[in-house]
Amino acid sequence: MTLAILLACSAGILIGISRQINGRLSLSTSPLIASFWNHLIGFSFLTVLSLGVGDLLPTGVGQVPWYDFLGGPVGVVFVAAGSWVIARIGAVNTALMMIGGQMVSGVVLDLALSVPTALGPTTIGVVLVLAGIALSQGKRTQGKRRAETTPRP
Amino acid sequence: MPVPLPLDQPRPLVFLAAFATGGLLTLMVHFNGELARYGNPLFSSWTAHGTGTVAAIVFLGLLYRRGRITSGERPPAPLWAYLGGISGAATVMLTSTAVNSPLALAGTLALGLSGQAIFSLAADQWGLFGLAKRRLTGRNLAALALILGGSALIILEGRIPA
Repeated sequence: MTLAILLACSAGILIGISRQINGRLSLSTSPLIASFWNHLIGFSFLTVLSLGVGDLLPTGVGQVPWYDFLGGPVGVVFVAAGSWVIARIGAVNTALMMIGGQMVSGVVLDLALSVPTALGPTTIGVVLVLAGIALSQGKRTQGKRRAETTPRP
Repeated sequence: MPVPLPLDQPRPLVFLAAFATGGLLTLMVHFNGELARYGNPLFSSWTAHGTGTVAAIVFLGLLYRRGRITSGERPPAPLWAYLGGISGAATVMLTSTAVNSPLALAGTLALGLSGQAIFSLAADQWGLFGLAKRRLTGRNLAALALILGGSALIILEGRIPA
């Protein structure tokens, strides 16, 4: 169980690391180019890994409806947008806005798909998330304009 | 057309974009989850990265044809900056292992969000991986507590087990 907790936390940290690294790359290239490299390198890494595991094309592949393949293209926009945003509002604000957006839209998707939802805790949760987002919109920090536009090596 | 400096965009717009991007993540997780049902998490992530690579080339091609790709005189990126994809791909392995533990999906999600938030504090504090340092404020921490608390409620209490 301790190992599982460690793995789950590490997954979150890895997401943060990749967003940070892609943000850095986008400063020298562009958000879309950073997203391209993210996907190409990730694809190569997973290809090598899958060949090692030997389960690359499962038997059910033929029945996959076409729209379930949209995750990749959506991911390209997601990574590009993340790289664009993190260079502008920083890691904390980026993480918080994205988590908030993911939570609220997740609730909306669940309601749309009629997933059984406990309305009480969900409503309070959404209110807390939106309050946190409103709080983040405070006055901007001064004197950071130069620092944010200049990438460090 | 000059490339606008990052902070020339009005700030609320950037926050809104980040929030909307979180919505994209929901869509992505939904599609990739469906894909994983036909195969396995590794297959799902591999496929998404493959179709993503193709999509990125198409998007770049469209921008290129419209002359929107500018080659500015920006400082070059260090080699490691190209390796973000490995970190992203490795995430899949960790989450698919954790999901199959007693943590299940809800626990894995909640802990993942916490890990992400804590890392972001360190990232801003020390300017990790070549991005700018940012001083953390009480406002940041309060917002973090509200959003993580709300997320925990939604994830851990909002789902009625089928």
